[in-house]
Amino acid sequence: MNAVAVIGTGQTNHAKARPDVTQPELIREAVDAALVDAGLTADDIDAVVMSNMEMFEGRALPELWVAEGAYGTGKPVFKIATGGTSGTSACIAGFHQAGSGAFDTVLVVGFEKHSEGHTQTGMALVDPFWDRAVASGALGNFALSISQYMAERGVTEEHAAQVAVKARRNAANNPHAHLQMPDLTIDDVLKSRMLAEPLHLLDMCPQSDGAAAIVVASGDTARKRGPKAAWVHAAATRHDQPYLGDLDRRLITTRALRSAAASAYAQAGITDPLRDFDIAEIYEPASYAELAWYEALEFCDDGEARRLIDDGVTSMDGELPVNPSGGVLSTNPVGASGVIRVAEASLQLLGRAGDRQVAGAKTALATGYGVYAWSDVIVLRSEMP
Amino acid sequence: MTAAKPELVSVTLDLDMTWRYASGDPMDRFLNGVAKGRLEALRCPECDTRYLPPRPFCGRCNVAMDEWGPVSDTGTLIAWTVVHLSIIDGRTGEPRPSPYGMGLVQLDGADTTLNHYLDTADPDRLSIGARVKAVWRDELRGAMDDIIHFEVVP
Repeated sequence: MNAVAVIGTGQTNHAKARPDVTQPELIREAVDAALVDAGLTADDIDAVVMSNMEMFEGRALPELWVAEGAYGTGKPVFKIATGGTSGTSACIAGFHQAGSGAFDTVLVVGFEKHSEGHTQTGMALVDPFWDRAVASGALGNFALSISQYMAERGVTEEHAAQVAVKARRNAANNPHAHLQMPDLTIDDVLKSRMLAEPLHLLDMCPQSDGAAAIVVASGDTARKRGPKAAWVHAAATRHDQPYLGDLDRRLITTRALRSAAASAYAQAGITDPLRDFDIAEIYEPASYAELAWYEALEFCDDGEARRLIDDGVTSMDGELPVNPSGGVLSTNPVGASGVIRVAEASLQLLGRAGDRQVAGAKTALATGYGVYAWSDVIVLRSEMP
Repeated sequence: MTAAKPELVSVTLDLDMTWRYASGDPMDRFLNGVAKGRLEALRCPECDTRYLPPRPFCGRCNVAMDEWGPVSDTGTLIAWTVVHLSIIDGRTGEPRPSPYGMGLVQLDGADTTLNHYLDTADPDRLSIGARVKAVWRDELRGAMDDIIHFEVVP
């Protein structure tokens, strides 16, 4: 793949519900912001990649309806739907489109409008012979995996609650974030409603309405525009086997994420992730997942994640700030959430992340996690490859 | 932002539809066995993994599987939770009354785990490593919910 860079980003204000706009209008909000950010007009876009989990809204072929919101008429348009990785996989598809030479400038836009649909029903429409009889949604699946993770790693509810607090406090510095809770405490998390043991309400991501877009350009176009861009140094995506019981100790083995990380790190020359990355935007749908990802992404040895959160290594003033945006725990329009990770990582490298800026960030990590079966890992740098 | 605008017209849509899915040979044999209270797994000839649910090929080795082996309805609990939120039941579309137990069960004779419901009459007995046994319905129909739930073996 030739060099490609993210040259613009845009996001909506994410919220529990956005009844003031339709789905195409929601998308237009993010797309217009990204085009202005990139200094481009819609005529400069050669192709559009979208991401959305259409079963959540219950509307088939959403890209047919919403592509006008992304100036897609008359252009190549397709959609990716892989659960939580939809957005990062759409970004990677955009990187490949611009990096292959097939297109020069590609718009990637992800969205979800959970308030208009039935997310739980979408999650329940799984394998009719096996899972439907015994499905308990993302919540039950996570709780099961977490019970193993806690037992094996010695992680406590307090360790997880620290992740939940960090996310919502960071989100208070992000004007786009859905849940901004600057005064949240560990006690608040532990006292919040029990959803599925050991997961409390505040251990879980919300459902949000929102859209996010990035503009990806070929290396030549990005260079001509000026020195500032978020350059793609690596991208890897992995799929795993289909059933929850296919992979024992799922949050511990994390086979897909570890494999994607190993590939991306080798491509980008990352040898010591904790030292080499200046900031990470990782897809953590539950507080405990962030701890498991620290180990899978090699920020620490297996079993050491609790030390990282205890010592504040991943807080805003720590060695590797993780999710300055507030992460998925603060904002989760599923189809957009992966795009938000890449957009936020890019903003950090461009030095335009406002109150959530990590000073001098030069190397950034963005990840996606979908339905326990997909993992994406992306490495971005302010320097050209 | 949302505050300044008056509320817009919205539409509500209720649907009631039926789907029909083909099972394939392995699932057909498996569910016919379940109707007789029998569980079986398919073994991969390369990696020896004994798969539940049975499927035509091993996703790790990409080879076809046709060697069946018996699986007990008794196994070891390797993960558990009690769900306190009423999640949509994929069979009916209605919320399943909560609380209810969920577990990952390593059945004797299988290498993958089975996610299924747990009896929570005595939640203090739920622990990783506990031995559990299936509680079957009186009348079997050849579906995974012919097993009502698993209970901890006394």
